[in-house]
Amino acid sequence: MARSALSRLAAATALTVICTFTADAQPAPRSEYEIKAAYLFTFGKFVDWPPRPARDESAVTICVLGADPFGPVLDATLAGATIRGRKVSWRRLTGPEDAAGCHIVFVSASEERRVSTIVPALNQLGALTVSDMPQFASHGGMIQFVTAASRVRFEINLLSAREAGLTVSSELLRVASAVRNGAGPGE
Amino acid sequence: MGRIGGRTRANGALLIAAMLLVSPDAANATDNDQNAPRLTELSLEQLGDIEVTTVSKRPEEVWRTAVAIHVITHEDIRRSGATSIPEVLRLAPGIEVARIDSDHWSIGVRGFGDQFSKSLLVLIDGRSIYTPLFAGMYWPAHDALLDDVDRIEVIRGPGGTIWGADAVSGVINIITKATAETHGALLSAGAGNIDRGTGALRYGGGNGRTFDYRVYGKGVNRSAEHHADGAAFDEWWTTQAGFRTDWTPGPGNTLTVQGDVSKGSHGQRVSVASLSPPAQVALDGSLHAVGVDVLARWQRDFTATRGFRLQAYVDRTSWLAPHFGEQRNTIDVDFLHHATLAARHTVTAGVGARVSPSRFIQQVPTLDFTPRVQTDSVYSGFAEDEMALVPEHLWLTVGSKIEHNNYTGVEVQPGARLLWAPRPGQSAWASVSRAVRTPSRIEDAIASTSYSTTTTVPIFLRVTGNPDFDAERTVAYEAGYRARVASQVYVDLAAFHNRHRGLGSFGLGSVTVEQTPLPVHAIVDVLYVNGVSGRSDGFELSPEWQPRGWWRLRGGYSYVRFDLANTPGSIDVNAVNRYAGSSPHHQVRLESRLNLPGGAEFDAAYRYVSALPAQKIEAYHTADSRVGWAVSPRIEVSLAGQNLLAPSHAEFGHNLPQPVGIARSVYVEVRWWRANPWHGLPSAAWPPRPRSQ
Repeated sequence: MARSALSRLAAATALTVICTFTADAQPAPRSEYEIKAAYLFTFGKFVDWPPRPARDESAVTICVLGADPFGPVLDATLAGATIRGRKVSWRRLTGPEDAAGCHIVFVSASEERRVSTIVPALNQLGALTVSDMPQFASHGGMIQFVTAASRVRFEINLLSAREAGLTVSSELLRVASAVRNGAGPGE
Repeated sequence: MGRIGGRTRANGALLIAAMLLVSPDAANATDNDQNAPRLTELSLEQLGDIEVTTVSKRPEEVWRTAVAIHVITHEDIRRSGATSIPEVLRLAPGIEVARIDSDHWSIGVRGFGDQFSKSLLVLIDGRSIYTPLFAGMYWPAHDALLDDVDRIEVIRGPGGTIWGADAVSGVINIITKATAETHGALLSAGAGNIDRGTGALRYGGGNGRTFDYRVYGKGVNRSAEHHADGAAFDEWWTTQAGFRTDWTPGPGNTLTVQGDVSKGSHGQRVSVASLSPPAQVALDGSLHAVGVDVLARWQRDFTATRGFRLQAYVDRTSWLAPHFGEQRNTIDVDFLHHATLAARHTVTAGVGARVSPSRFIQQVPTLDFTPRVQTDSVYSGFAEDEMALVPEHLWLTVGSKIEHNNYTGVEVQPGARLLWAPRPGQSAWASVSRAVRTPSRIEDAIASTSYSTTTTVPIFLRVTGNPDFDAERTVAYEAGYRARVASQVYVDLAAFHNRHRGLGSFGLGSVTVEQTPLPVHAIVDVLYVNGVSGRSDGFELSPEWQPRGWWRLRGGYSYVRFDLANTPGSIDVNAVNRYAGSSPHHQVRLESRLNLPGGAEFDAAYRYVSALPAQKIEAYHTADSRVGWAVSPRIEVSLAGQNLLAPSHAEFGHNLPQPVGIARSVYVEVRWWRANPWHGLPSAAWPPRPRSQ
């Protein structure tokens, strides 16, 4: 037991040393927004949307509302991507009123002050609402990114998703760090 | 991030980093873009296992703010090893924190270090802890559970346009977490040579949606710092307890109620003069402080662009020291409304009132106030318009505060700020603003006699408050630039040129010789006057670099210089020297934060502070370090050492002729928590299940 712990520690140390000494070959881990952009895309695989007249159902549209924290990362991540045969398109919004065709809306932290009015408007449109602002799920947002221990994970407010008519795959619920279901905190 | 040239290579590298973490066998993989799967091909679990840098995790508002702001996050606080708010403030650039003794700090922003931390406004969740008694902060009486602090926003430069008089050199906003984020139980205990014993307990609960609460209690017992003569007069203890509730009956509608009670005993040495021999005695004793505060805040957002905030608080402090006492009740009501008009204008306007009756308690004959009972009051109105000159790229904010106070009547504090954000991750700003510091009760109404020296007869200095003492006025010209210069490198530069008018000094003295009480003695009578004017200039540069996801480096260099002089009719050269010589001209800070395998953390910080000639303090450099280890998901043990490079060093000369040495200290802390799963760390061993069905 002690021996295996020791060898694991040695392996971890060796790994750290490798990481350190191969610095030139391997640039640092990427920014969290690269991961978040990939998540936005991946969420699309696990959600079914009710059809809406304003939406182009041949594509899955990902939208960013507010000050864009992704920059070119979003374009690079989503370029050429498809979800179940539907191509992925993306655009940036200045206000919730532009969100009519969106399947997934990432709400930037810049909108924190207005979140309590933005979220109901987006939910009304049947869009999957995602953000990394604190308290997003408490305000009725569907998915809230949580960065802990240098890893990006997410929490789900299942009630909001259901109220908006979205069907969320159990796979997404299984991986979520926490699932909240309206009446109370996740268990 | 996202320099186009490096994109494909960077993606490959990310994958390698990911694979290194997911499977150590992949350590030998080479940089092969063709074979590496794209991020979009990873599963949800794999995405969740990739280590990321959070250098970009700055509140988005920072990029969109035309002020020199630095945000100290909860993580920064935890990893600094600091155990008090003043020590935490050392993390911000442009702030000079000098520990006078165990329980007193001089804190200045861009100069103006002072035992009372004058001209600086400090708010805890919107409640001002600035006291009109001496126009500054009495730090030991104000505390918060550091585990509850979400962030501390440190604003250098005037904030008078928004926050009103007294926010001249800076504003410090201490913001605690919402109660939905503090579910569960937290217990911490620590011990060390200076922080002899600390303990804290917090419990939070609620439904995470409409109603949440927390309660906390903490106690701190600190020993004296280093005294060459062994007089350990600065031992102290404080206890504090409080609560907070957040009630959200509907979307865009939150009512927060919070409150605290605190009690403490802060050791100090005071010099008390007496006209009869001995002319001066040093009294070692304690200031006993009791504080109670309750605050309610109602935040209502009607639409995306229109809302208001109504806040009211009551704050009662009671201080009793060997040489003085004061009781003060403050009632403050503040209303703020914001609305976006005609698409390009966001107008924020508000009104506020603060009434603060106080009673001075005389303890020694040579320190008094006339009158002893006084009610300080401030009534204010504020309006600001943020105009998007070019949407998403160029903003102009113009506004002013107009207020009436009981010392100098109406004060106007306008400001204009221009912000240019050419692209994400880059912004430049410039501003002009005017700020005033209104007189304190000391400058207005004190009657104090202190012993000066003995020639043929003892000579005493009698300082009398001057009802004609005017506000100190500052006009600040500032500019700044922030950029993410490379994917993991962030730079923040801010420069300022301040023009000061009517800073406080002593006026010309008149000498009288008195026979009673015997012996014959001379009294030099002086008044407070606005006798110093001039300018101060400087800049702060704070770079940040995250070479690895697990390693973060930060630096800071702050420079300030003064060009002050007595105004005609004033000859108090001491005041000029004191302003210019009580703050370091140069400050350097370097920090490293390392996450090690097995849940361990190793953090180190170095700082250099140049000399304070007026305080007879030489330049010094010192270092802090912390080792933390998450023993289990619920238990964290940490060992922090501070001021490690010397057994002790002095930081401020208030206790001259023998400044107190700030000792090397070691502190061990154990924290145990039972987090609510909703906000706890994700754990693979704990598969969450939806509650419905």
